[in-house]
Amino acid sequence: MRRTRTQTALFLLLCSFTAVTLTPVIWAVLTSFKQPVDAFAVPPTVIFTPTFTFHYQVWVEKAFWHYLINSVVISVSTVLVSVSIGTMAGYGLSRLRSRASRGVLFAILSMRMFPHILLAIPFFVLAKSLGLINTYPAMILALVAINQPFTIWLMRSFFLDVPHELYEAAEIDGCNAWQVFLRVGLPVVRPGLWVTALFSLLLAYNEFLLGLVLTGPATKTLPVALSEYGAEDINYWTLSAAAAVGIMLPIVAFMMLLQRHLVRGLSMGAVKG
Amino acid sequence: MAITYDVRAVAIAPARRTGRRKRHHGSASSAWLFLLPSAAMLLTVLLVPLGYAIWLSLFDYDLGAGIHTFIGLGNYDALLHDAQFWESLGRTVFIVGCAVTLEFSLGLLIAYGLYRLTFGVRTLNLLLFMPNVITPVVAALFLRWIFVSRWGLLSGILISLGIFPPDFLGDPDWARFTVILGDAWQFTPFMILVLYAGLNTVDQAQIEAAQIDGAGIWMLLFRIMLPSIRPLVMFVLAIRLMDAFRFFDQIYVLTAGGPGTATETITLYTYALAFRLLQVGKASALGVITLLLVASAIAGMIMALYRRERGAF
Repeated sequence: MRRTRTQTALFLLLCSFTAVTLTPVIWAVLTSFKQPVDAFAVPPTVIFTPTFTFHYQVWVEKAFWHYLINSVVISVSTVLVSVSIGTMAGYGLSRLRSRASRGVLFAILSMRMFPHILLAIPFFVLAKSLGLINTYPAMILALVAINQPFTIWLMRSFFLDVPHELYEAAEIDGCNAWQVFLRVGLPVVRPGLWVTALFSLLLAYNEFLLGLVLTGPATKTLPVALSEYGAEDINYWTLSAAAAVGIMLPIVAFMMLLQRHLVRGLSMGAVKG
Repeated sequence: MAITYDVRAVAIAPARRTGRRKRHHGSASSAWLFLLPSAAMLLTVLLVPLGYAIWLSLFDYDLGAGIHTFIGLGNYDALLHDAQFWESLGRTVFIVGCAVTLEFSLGLLIAYGLYRLTFGVRTLNLLLFMPNVITPVVAALFLRWIFVSRWGLLSGILISLGIFPPDFLGDPDWARFTVILGDAWQFTPFMILVLYAGLNTVDQAQIEAAQIDGAGIWMLLFRIMLPSIRPLVMFVLAIRLMDAFRFFDQIYVLTAGGPGTATETITLYTYALAFRLLQVGKASALGVITLLLVASAIAGMIMALYRRERGAF
């Protein structure tokens, strides 16, 4: 009896912490459905007639759909480039066991440490002199650069789980190195490939600093557009709330998709060493 | 953001698996070939720009005025005598220190709570993790709408309760506090996720033995469980320190470094130098200094970890 009571107390405690944590999200969602008169009400109100006007306005009339297309083009291209070459590198590293490969591995890890602002400056100066500011390739290449170390490490960890016997069997059957990778390694890690691709997609979709520096009116991504839009002027509150909530939606979907890997697979993998 | 997901990769330490693996001589040499495309890419889009940034840092290079003169280490010398540099460094250390301490303590508490809870853990875990994956710019706006003076939710609630609210984003001290809280809001979930997973790996027999010896729940956490996941703790702390130090998005949207320079971290200062004042030479030098600072802090942590581990065996 005492045991269940402590459990209930603990559960309620954690629930209230969760509720506090999620308040900003819930508040923003509510705001995005409010008329300005409700949004500015003091005391804050949770009872109001919801309206979709602002979602419609910001995504259709204010051209946020255009920034969505930019975001999609840029993040999907980044994932295609980054994951395909990162997968090969991860495979290569998983099959190497020498001292040198360990060195490479830690060199890659230390690249992850670079302050992005330090990279943003040369990216900007180089892109400017090459006339690549406000083009997709500049942004995509920059994102691939900061994405690679992560992709390689994650893919390598998935390839490490492939039983070595599979490779040996394929080699005995006469597969060359490329076929071993393509026919044996790749099919086995396919779930891991999806996980890596989705995480890379999220990283690219969320990136802000590089977008701020490298994109222009034609290639602006969603975070950049949102930051420029109505962060200052309180009159745009409900409109930018609608935009922000819209930007968040794919991420919620992403969490649902990766739920198992987030909480179990990924974190467990993290500490099983 | 990237941090969250490296965890899995890093903690599967390369050395652990060596024993299991034999290899063919032939396949090993061809394995290097698989690294080529990625190596070529990293060289062109990461290492060359990095080298170029170091090169730029040796010039008095002003994109606006079109000045481009070699001055050797002049930028570094100027920065080391620049009060704004030292102030922004001090602020960064303060904000990062407070934020990471808060994230770790809160994260550990919640993770331990989840560890002891017997039901509903999965759902809570998922809900708790949400702030961590939200686009930082979006997260910052969400927080802005809570903390903004007068119209924010928190001010609204305080006013309704008859309390005159402070200006959370406009008062220098409160702004620093809000920025710390904002960082904690987005990154405590990461701590929770990793520490919860870590706590679950602690040897069950060890826990039971301690319980038989009469260890209470706090004793169990601090004397038994925490020491046994120390490498993981050092790892998440290193990752968080590193990322908090360079974090830009949230502060940029939340306060833009203001009021005045109350929340201007070293990254925001670098950004202002490079992209507002267009002094790319000096800004690059500042970026290089940041890299060196972060690198030496991390190296120090790794060395401390290794020394303790070696002592333990």
